[in-house]
Amino acid sequence: MVLAYGWSVVALPLAIALLVGLVGRFLGRGIAYVSALAPAWVLFYGIVACFEVLSAAEKGGVLARGAAVWLPAAGDGGMAVGWAVDGLTGLMLVVVGMVALLVMVFSSGYMAGERGLPRYFATLSLFTASMSLLVLADGFLGLFIGWELVGACSYLLIGFWFTKPAAAKAAVKAFLTTRVGDIGLLLALALLWREVGDLSYAAVFGMASALPGAVLTSVSLLLLFGAVGKSAQFPLHIWLPDAMEGPTPVSALIHAATMVAAGVFLIVRIWPLYSLSATAAMVTLAIGGFTAIAAACAAAAQRDIKKVLAYSTISQLGFMFAALGAGAWEAALFHLVTHAMFKALLFLGSGSVIHGCGGVQDVYEMGGLFKRMPITGATWAVGALALAGVPPLAGFFSKDEILHGVWGVQPLWAAVLFGASLLTAFYVARTTRLAFFGTYRGAGHPHEGGPEMQLPLLVLAVGAAIFGVTGGVIAALIGGHHGDLDPGIALASAGIAIVGLLSGWFTAASASDPGPSTSTGKLIIIARGGWGGDALVNAMLVGPVTRASALLDVFVEGSLINRIAEGTGPAARRLGRGFTSLQSGDAQWYAIMSGAGAVALLALVAYLGRGF
Amino acid sequence: MSVESAVFTVLGIVAVAGGLATVFAADVSRMAIGLGAFLLAVAGFFVYWGATFLGVAQLFVYVGGVLVLMLFAIMLVHRTPDGSPRLETRHDVSAVAVAGGLFVMVVTALSGVVPDTVDHGLVTGTTELAEALLGPMLAHFEMAGVLLLVALVVVVVIMRGGDER
Amino acid sequence: MSLLVIAVGLFCIGLYGVLTRRDLVAILASIEVMLGSATLLLVGLAVAGRTVQGSEGMVEGVGLMVIVLAAAEAAVGLALVISVSRRFKTTRIDEIVKVRG
Repeated sequence: MVLAYGWSVVALPLAIALLVGLVGRFLGRGIAYVSALAPAWVLFYGIVACFEVLSAAEKGGVLARGAAVWLPAAGDGGMAVGWAVDGLTGLMLVVVGMVALLVMVFSSGYMAGERGLPRYFATLSLFTASMSLLVLADGFLGLFIGWELVGACSYLLIGFWFTKPAAAKAAVKAFLTTRVGDIGLLLALALLWREVGDLSYAAVFGMASALPGAVLTSVSLLLLFGAVGKSAQFPLHIWLPDAMEGPTPVSALIHAATMVAAGVFLIVRIWPLYSLSATAAMVTLAIGGFTAIAAACAAAAQRDIKKVLAYSTISQLGFMFAALGAGAWEAALFHLVTHAMFKALLFLGSGSVIHGCGGVQDVYEMGGLFKRMPITGATWAVGALALAGVPPLAGFFSKDEILHGVWGVQPLWAAVLFGASLLTAFYVARTTRLAFFGTYRGAGHPHEGGPEMQLPLLVLAVGAAIFGVTGGVIAALIGGHHGDLDPGIALASAGIAIVGLLSGWFTAASASDPGPSTSTGKLIIIARGGWGGDALVNAMLVGPVTRASALLDVFVEGSLINRIAEGTGPAARRLGRGFTSLQSGDAQWYAIMSGAGAVALLALVAYLGRGF
Repeated sequence: MSVESAVFTVLGIVAVAGGLATVFAADVSRMAIGLGAFLLAVAGFFVYWGATFLGVAQLFVYVGGVLVLMLFAIMLVHRTPDGSPRLETRHDVSAVAVAGGLFVMVVTALSGVVPDTVDHGLVTGTTELAEALLGPMLAHFEMAGVLLLVALVVVVVIMRGGDER
Repeated sequence: MSLLVIAVGLFCIGLYGVLTRRDLVAILASIEVMLGSATLLLVGLAVAGRTVQGSEGMVEGVGLMVIVLAAAEAAVGLALVISVSRRFKTTRIDEIVKVRG
């Protein structure tokens, strides 16, 4: 019943975004509660959808759908953008709705007193609408529209404090980098349009097995490229650490739980197509594995608490991509859900810490916060242990499934992932000890935030704790299978988590960096800079483009365009002077002119009449 | 070459030379001489063609009257301490273009009209002229007289005008 | 044909002089050349038989009219030149004529 109103999931948040944007000024403190209606509805709808799917006779089918014809394109009917609800859609809506709702509640406390709140909440609602469209679409076109829209919202929210140059630059960087990935997405769409003629999932999946291998691989790789951009995988990862310039609740929602997960969602959504290409699987596994461990190293070297979490997100997304590459798509989705829980929790927790410490983000200037901010500390601990993969928290189960899936396909990459897990535990423990234990090294007065900030933390902590059991449910929602835990792998991953935690803990005894002269120190500096990703982009792209522009400026702008622009004035003057010389007052000149005219007329008559 | 065509040629050369001298001479006296030559040649043409009266009239009026008048004017006007001044020209190129263009146009236009040879002289003579002047051209004749009278008066007025006003 | 060339040529020579010469008297002289050449052409055509029907007798008369006209024009024109030269102390056309537009 409820499900019939699929478009409401997009339309309501959109309407609320408009409303809040226009009259938010007058809503005062109620602005957050009005805005919260949007994700609340999305969550409700998602829950209903999940229940319906699970209780339906046939699993994994489409529940409800609707269509809207949009672009009258060449051929028949036009390009239709419709919506369809199945288990995957419902699950994603639950995740999006829940995290968005909690983030909005948190924001009402964290962002209290900020300027531009209507813009903030309106964009958050717009993001919710866009994300809903992305997961709800029944074809690639709707997906693409939602995809681009979330990118735009990300830009707007990263650059929320647009007067800050670093924020503005980060927003542009994020948008441009994901745009590069979007080129792949667009090319894939064009290819599909040419091969299949219809961009709806049903049509594409129906024809998937009939398409030639080269097409399948190309489409998959191109879509992978788009996912790589959105999910900040190597080599398009450089935007995510910089995106931390945005408000922390934004980082929790967009850059931890939802938008960056859209890449993983995309591949899960197109699994009937994607799974047909072995090349794509190989590439995905490689990218995921490499990103997982490289980002984990970088996370271990960070001082800024948000940057730790940013690199951690990149690393965890790498895990998900590796799972996809290994064919364990259910595991990837499972981890997506659990990661949304504990990563959002950690981000909001860091937000509480930053808020409590008066804007400080450097862990070297924190310490002993557990005593002063117990709720934050306790919930942070739950999230941290979940991230490290300690049983029985949620992260353990999903990570274990990934490891299991990859081990079955490529033990080498599984070993890499084990290494990444070790590092994950390491940086988790290190950061936790530096921030929450020991003596306070900062200059502020750490304190807890209000109830609006604590409640989301508590809810997410519960989620992070118990969501480990949902693996089976998730698999059922998408029509996959869920196996039992492999004792060997489970033991290994738990053991590695313990080892990592301990080593991280002891490394955090001193809150300082090794000197830059030591090799460790140098390594840390490099890792902290994200392994030189920015330098690479500068050298390969920014440098040549800047030099080319300078050249063009000199040759084209300077000589050609400037001459044309500045030359028109004097040219007009010269022309005028030429004309004035005709009226010189010289009677003989006038006579000559008349004579010339007469001769011309005679010639004309002669020509026309061919003789007199 | 027959006598006629020789005469024609000579007259033509003299006329053209005179015209060119009139137009190109830098010296006033040379210009005057050129004009005189031209007018004489035209008179010669008229006589050659049998329009005797006209030729004589041309001689008397033009050469004897207009030319002399011009010489008087030159003498009255050109008072410069350093001898007769150079006569300069300007707008040479454009004027050549216009004059040349007109030449080409008119010649091509009329070339169909003029026959190649002039085989006979003027048919009519002085008697016919007299009959014409007092016949169909009586009005013209009278008007010519009036015109000359008016011109006379105008010249007197102009020459006197500067003194009185 | 040669008549045509000579007459029209002289006319154009005179025209050139009118357009080009700087001295007033020279201009008047060029005008005389134009008039003379026109008369020449007229009479020459009549001699060649190219006249309007029934006007053969009037050729000399027309020529006479032209001569009278030229004389009158020369007289008045030269009077003007003398008068102008008294006023402006020069007969150069570029120092005298300035038609303001």
